[in-house]
Amino acid sequence: MNSEILYLILVPALTGGLLYLPGKKPRVLSEGLAVVGATITFFFAARIAFLTTRGEVLTLFREEFRVDALGGLIAFLVGFIGLIVVIYSIPYIRKEIEKGVVRFGAVRFYYAWVMFFIASMLWATTTNNIIMLWVIIEATTLASVVLVAFYWNRDAVEAGYKYAMLLTVGITFALFGCVLLYSGASPHVAHGLDPLKMTEIANVAGKIPKNIALLSVVFLLVGFGTKAGIVPFHTWLPDAHAEAPTPISALLSGVMIKVGIYAVIRTVLIFYPFYSIISSLVLGLGIITMVVGVLMMFLQEDLKRFLAFCSVASMGYIVMGLGLGNYLGIYGSIFHLLNHSLMKSLAFLSVGSVIYATGCRRLSDLGGLAKSMPITAFVFWVAALALGGVPLFNGFMSEFTLFLAGVKGGHTWATVIAILVAILTLAAFVHVSYHIFMGKVPENLEQKRIQEVPIIMWGGTLILAALCFLIGIYPQVVYPILNEATKAIFAIMAVP
Amino acid sequence: MEEFSKYISTISLSLIITSYLVIELRNLRFSAYAYIVQAILMCSLFVIFATQNHGLYYWALTAFITKVVIIPYLLLRFIRRHSEQEFQPLIGYVGSILLITIIVLVFYRITHHYIEFVAPTPAAMAEPFRTNLAVSFTIFIMGLYCILVRRDAIKTVHGLLILENGVHLSLVSLAPLLKETALIGVVTDVVIAVYLLLYIISGVYEKFGSTDTFQLKGLRW
Repeated sequence: MNSEILYLILVPALTGGLLYLPGKKPRVLSEGLAVVGATITFFFAARIAFLTTRGEVLTLFREEFRVDALGGLIAFLVGFIGLIVVIYSIPYIRKEIEKGVVRFGAVRFYYAWVMFFIASMLWATTTNNIIMLWVIIEATTLASVVLVAFYWNRDAVEAGYKYAMLLTVGITFALFGCVLLYSGASPHVAHGLDPLKMTEIANVAGKIPKNIALLSVVFLLVGFGTKAGIVPFHTWLPDAHAEAPTPISALLSGVMIKVGIYAVIRTVLIFYPFYSIISSLVLGLGIITMVVGVLMMFLQEDLKRFLAFCSVASMGYIVMGLGLGNYLGIYGSIFHLLNHSLMKSLAFLSVGSVIYATGCRRLSDLGGLAKSMPITAFVFWVAALALGGVPLFNGFMSEFTLFLAGVKGGHTWATVIAILVAILTLAAFVHVSYHIFMGKVPENLEQKRIQEVPIIMWGGTLILAALCFLIGIYPQVVYPILNEATKAIFAIMAVP
Repeated sequence: MEEFSKYISTISLSLIITSYLVIELRNLRFSAYAYIVQAILMCSLFVIFATQNHGLYYWALTAFITKVVIIPYLLLRFIRRHSEQEFQPLIGYVGSILLITIIVLVFYRITHHYIEFVAPTPAAMAEPFRTNLAVSFTIFIMGLYCILVRRDAIKTVHGLLILENGVHLSLVSLAPLLKETALIGVVTDVVIAVYLLLYIISGVYEKFGSTDTFQLKGLRW
């Protein structure tokens, strides 16, 4: 029994509960509680990741909870990005209160929902129960709805409504898929074993009738695919990412959509050894997702929507890797998942710094900020080059792995499209980065005294930028972790 | 189970009729009442199946608390505070009833006839589970229809509830041995989802002056 798993979920959940308790709390107390809760959560996540990425599988309550290297890696990302986001939020939300955009009393609710959101994502990556996986994935949506609509203006409630409705409807498909999986596996699971456990379902995946297996895969791809922002179920993503407070956008894009992918990996990939059509379907979805994402990037004037569509394109890469189905493809997919978490959180937090300093997020209102905000300019350039797949940055390493996997897997056409998407992404980022930080300062900003953001904000972004660079120049540091995570995916697949 | 098959068929048909009413009644309060009737029918169905599988008594109780008491309370409270009349839908009465009838007939026929595509075990393919599954998938598609064609935000919540009822109904045939904890988790999610959706829709009403989702056009591309 590994009680770390229990603490991993309980710490953020209880912190959220404490923050939610009625009664006046000084703002500093709410912020302090959230930071302490997020820090302890991070240490538990790091401990679990440390153990699991060395090949250990942690379990709790007769394997109701089960964490292998993949779950451990994603739990670590949730804990790590969660901590950075909570710290970053302190000056960001204070400024929003000063501007009158956020009510003073709403601060504790903000941190409470952030902690609930983190707890739900951690629970999703540690459960081994197929129905609870659905319950908790839906809970991640419910915990973040209030955060998406947090500003409570016209755009925020519109985004909140679309987010809640689309994800809830989408995820209902996944419930049908989960029930079909459980129902199809039940007669084949040996007596005394629990057919609700995903590991048991995976063991008998080949015995589930073909019709049921394929139907449940379709339902699961629609349901969890909606959560992961896969085209054509991605329409909630740009609205939610753009209208949520920017630290929340970093959480949504950096980790929440990865939890959706995690659910797809756990429920859909178990059929790979038996039905090759599933990997082809996943590959096709990946390619469509990356193409739609990158084309939409060029139509955006709003910086956050631009980054949101970039997330769609990046999810395309991750899904493409899963669709390739071979070891290198799935390895590349996990690699890109890790990198994208770091790069996209960095990009959103850098844009958050720009919004914090200027109050603007439209491209046409920004320009020449490099002189007044050198650190933010530097970290945004790192994010841009990493997301654009430039050598020496982490994005290049994972994209290159995926290209290699595509060619080795005999899907040269997919690789060519992926390379074109990478080139277009780089072009879009160079254009946007140049526009924000180089050139002439626009008139609307000349009157303002633009200053670099406080260290509490740029500190986190600098750590993320350093990691993007470190993994880019010395990727060997993460190879063993990625290897264990990929092995964990193949380990639960049944042999045909 | 055979002695109950007549009741099961009648209740199943009634579930489809109540879905019609939930979707087509333009008065949102009456539509919510139709949902309560549907929820009571579902509980009755669980009780009938529970005569063979006693675990389903818990399901009936859970469904009663959430679907007959809590969710209708939230819905009716919201409707009382806002508008009772549904925002004019895109398709009129006749067109909508005609369209949904075609969908119901086609979908029920297909799922009932090709049951092997949705039923994983021989037991689930036999009556009365066969009818139960066909009805659940039909109700599911009716809920989806409601969400897609109705422009009133509260009506889309009604659609979501029908959609969820479709899935819950299928559990009788697909997962009769499901643990209560898992079921409680599922219905708790639905209750919280309805609560939060209504909370957000109250924001939509506050900022846009109505619950017409066609006004939500600020965020595009």
